[in-house]
Amino acid sequence: MIGPSNPSLQEGATALLAGDAEEGVRLTLIGLSQAASVRERQTGWSNLCAGYVMLGRLETALDYCNRVIEQTDRNWRAYSNRALVYVKMQRFAEADADLVRAEALAPNARTLKAVRTMWRDAVEPVAPAIVIDDRRQPPADPDAD
Amino acid sequence: MRTERYRGLAFCALVLVAGLAFAQDDTSVTHLLDSGGRMPLNTVVPVYPEKARRERVEGDVQVCFNVDHEGRTSRVRVRRSSNRIFERPAILAARASTYLPVPRDKILSGIKTCRTFRFRLLPVAIDKLDGSED
Repeated sequence: MIGPSNPSLQEGATALLAGDAEEGVRLTLIGLSQAASVRERQTGWSNLCAGYVMLGRLETALDYCNRVIEQTDRNWRAYSNRALVYVKMQRFAEADADLVRAEALAPNARTLKAVRTMWRDAVEPVAPAIVIDDRRQPPADPDAD
Repeated sequence: MRTERYRGLAFCALVLVAGLAFAQDDTSVTHLLDSGGRMPLNTVVPVYPEKARRERVEGDVQVCFNVDHEGRTSRVRVRRSSNRIFERPAILAARASTYLPVPRDKILSGIKTCRTFRFRLLPVAIDKLDGSED
């Protein structure tokens, strides 16, 4: 939750959620320069991490995520955003480690699940296969006990 | 292991590839038949639920239904299911499927026709163009 004391940070978050990465980053940088608390600063860094991922500037995004994680190990969004950066960098082991940490903090977060899906699709891709069995008495399953 | 099982199943049954419809582009489909019962005409393939694919969930659903003289299905019911997420696509596919018509004067047995849908996810190998084998 971003307090009303920093409207630029709040508007930046709104722009990022709307998909306007450039405006979101611009406003968040302004908000960050006016940050009055550790919480606001960490929120700004985490959101900049997300914004720079959206802009494809992965190294910059990673730097901002690292800043948050150096200060706290309780920010699931920073872990999730960094995991996304690592997935895009194809650093899958590091992405998995961050996803495990984030999942422990926020097991039901939808954005986190989306990143986990991206990781799975990159590391363990699968293709659907459907068997339509019209036999009246299918043979016993050889794997059954 | 799974691939070998499919191979075994396919070995002992007739496998149809024609007359299948509505599958997603990347879905592979196997249709197993034996010589008894009504012969499928147009078999609609259920859509693999996206949520199940994302979460790597597999499952089986058996549906049973009536087939009239014209080959239309009705009263489609789930008989067995390993996961509810697959039930709706299985029901929709069974409802939309048809069988070969039989003459009007032929007395139908009254025995329901059953169809089992096995939803599986196969690991796929991606060619990264770098010569690696993993």
